[in-house]
Amino acid sequence: MMAIRWPLTGLFFGLLVVGGASPAGAEFEENTNGCFGGGTFQEGQFSIDADSVGDRVVTIPRSDTVAWQGSVTAPPGMYYGSIKVELPPPWGSVTIDSWKGDSQSASNTGTEEYDLPTLLPGGVEFKVTGEHVDQNGRCSGYVKLKVEGKPFSSPITWVSLFGTVATGAGIAFVARPLFRRVG
Amino acid sequence: MMKVGKIIGTALLGFFFMLFIALDLVLFGVVALASVVVTLLPLIGLVLGGAVGAMVNNNQQPAA
Repeated sequence: MMAIRWPLTGLFFGLLVVGGASPAGAEFEENTNGCFGGGTFQEGQFSIDADSVGDRVVTIPRSDTVAWQGSVTAPPGMYYGSIKVELPPPWGSVTIDSWKGDSQSASNTGTEEYDLPTLLPGGVEFKVTGEHVDQNGRCSGYVKLKVEGKPFSSPITWVSLFGTVATGAGIAFVARPLFRRVG
Repeated sequence: MMKVGKIIGTALLGFFFMLFIALDLVLFGVVALASVVVTLLPLIGLVLGGAVGAMVNNNQQPAA
């Protein structure tokens, strides 16, 4: 999970380092501190920003460099926030990054390089949520992400398919008396 | 006792079968990781597996 930490942090909260707030590339659910942000994938040659991404699924390259920027309307003061990956109910979510501190800077920019592990299959849709709370309010949002690539690029897919066939064969074996011909 | 064991065993088999089906659907991008379908399918498998186990048991009951 460490490999995914920085790009997601950059995508969501561009002001992580100085402590302002800015979900970037995310659909806002709440924004009372006027946060704004965006990121440009340099090899992927596309940009996303918090206001325009909406509910669409963003497909990101397996490795790239993201130039991000973010801002809030006023100095944030004391702040905290986190980024999480949503899991199927009832398991909630997994926190992949969190932060807290005190800052008077209302904007920040930066560049982050990432390289996701091959174990992470391509094409899987993740819902990543984030929130940032400071003295002026709170902003939270989510982005739907897919990693570029095919499912078979990961060994997990082969393990899952083998499991499906093996347990399916087990069910068929147990249930075979039900399918015997009568008479 | 044997009967209950077979029902539980088949129910578990059904649970894992549908769990793998759910995982396949996620891996092939058919449903999102956070989808409720991922939760429901294994539970459906548990129930259906138990039902299959019970039906097989009934089917194998010696005639009175």
